[in-house]
Amino acid sequence: MGIPFFSDEWISAYKAAINGNPAYKTAAADWTYGVVALICKAQPPFFPSDVGIWLDLDRGVCREARPVGPADALKAPFCITGDYARWKQVLKKELEPIKGMMQGKLRLKGDLPTIVRAVQAAQELVNSAAGMDTKFLDE
Amino acid sequence: MEYPADLSFLFTSPTRVVYGAGVSRDVGIELAGLGCRRALVVTDGFLRKTEIVADVVKSLGASCAAVFSDVPPDSDVRAVNAGAELGRSHGADSIVSVGGGSVIDTAKGIAILLKEGGSLLDHQGYQLLTRRQTPHVCIPTTAGTGSEVTYFAVIKDHEARRKMIFGDHHIIPDVAILDPSLTVGLPPVLTAATGLDAFSHGLEALTSAQREPMSDALGLHAMRLVRRYLPAAVKNGSDMVARGQMLIAATLAGAAFSNAQVGLLHAIAHTVGARHAVHHGAANAIAMAHVVRFNNDVVADRHRLAAEAIGVDVRALSDEAAGLALAEAISDFVSEVGLPLTFREAGVPEADLAACAELAMSDGAIVYNAKPVLRSSEVLGVLRAAWAGT
Repeated sequence: MGIPFFSDEWISAYKAAINGNPAYKTAAADWTYGVVALICKAQPPFFPSDVGIWLDLDRGVCREARPVGPADALKAPFCITGDYARWKQVLKKELEPIKGMMQGKLRLKGDLPTIVRAVQAAQELVNSAAGMDTKFLDE
Repeated sequence: MEYPADLSFLFTSPTRVVYGAGVSRDVGIELAGLGCRRALVVTDGFLRKTEIVADVVKSLGASCAAVFSDVPPDSDVRAVNAGAELGRSHGADSIVSVGGGSVIDTAKGIAILLKEGGSLLDHQGYQLLTRRQTPHVCIPTTAGTGSEVTYFAVIKDHEARRKMIFGDHHIIPDVAILDPSLTVGLPPVLTAATGLDAFSHGLEALTSAQREPMSDALGLHAMRLVRRYLPAAVKNGSDMVARGQMLIAATLAGAAFSNAQVGLLHAIAHTVGARHAVHHGAANAIAMAHVVRFNNDVVADRHRLAAEAIGVDVRALSDEAAGLALAEAISDFVSEVGLPLTFREAGVPEADLAACAELAMSDGAIVYNAKPVLRSSEVLGVLRAAWAGT
């Protein structure tokens, strides 16, 4: 059946998936740069307005994952914004997120070099999500 | 030259390119074509005193709102903020940049602030902008950075002691005016360094992890032109054919790497430049052959193409041997145009190589290197070879 993408239930499951991924724990052991927020742009009728996720990441652990409004998401040290279709590509591992940022398929607010240094951790965040049973709303 | 069945890429190169000796006099016409009436001219203190900027201001006439000439050799946040303030106070609706890469990158930063407001640090990110920025006409006076057609701006934050890289399709300049007569005064050493910078853009675009056929075509021809015309431009700065072809090469290579990206070589050059003030083009020239050797086991077939483009006879060689021949040919080329061959000669202390390697791992370019670079020890190996010339 799957968990609806970007729902509260999906966000809770994503936190569990990150913390259950030993490769993420290793790859992100040096991550002390704070919250990473994700914004999915509005996709009517599934998302009438922009929706966000607040990921409090620290040294290989996701301390908190919760829904957040786009205005608050933009206050995070790092905020990555994309259309629904782009996030779907990321979760299906069709789009590597850092390359997606550099091509303009995703937009980064924050310090690019810090993100680049964490390229393997970013990949494991994607792997954590890709391993979930996600229900995409347009399928 | 083979491409995979799942080849997928974006190619963007929206800049209108105007070429010819003397065409900088048309800047007013080009500006009007963009629907603009009040341009902020952005340049540096040296060029401000020359006829180059005087002629541009004259061509603009009443369309020149003000001239900002406080661009330092390395573009920085303070200059961008000050330039934007000057532009706002004079009601500028557009920018005309006249100079090298630092001037053009400063102008890109000013273009953001004139449109979005605030300070440059408010807009730190990548592909963050959502609309076209202030119209921008570039008039490059060097032939190397390709900034006149790229989506990058490298701007130093002196307080944080780091270089910020802005990458956004919305800051690609609208018009590039390539006037070879403006580059005749460039000294031989700068001609050589900027020319090798253009060559490195072509090479790294060709071998990048994001390589694609359109950038391949641009990069290969750029390398061909640089190899043929750079020695002549270094030897005789008044050679208008050589100067012109070098400007074209730089622009072609700029469009190539703005799409295919660059790799480890630029990550090294950015780092060595930031920490030890080695000219960006010279740093690329020094490390280029060593990066070719590092990548050769992954992209030897691409190195063969580059070798062929610059006239190395590789017909009897395997791809791997052709790649090594390319590295040798690059070192010979660097030497021929009078640039140093080692970071030791360029004044980089050996004791700092490890710190340079660590910093290079944070450079956005490294993501696109032909061969994935996962450990700073790999970068350090290349740096050590480039330091000693081994």
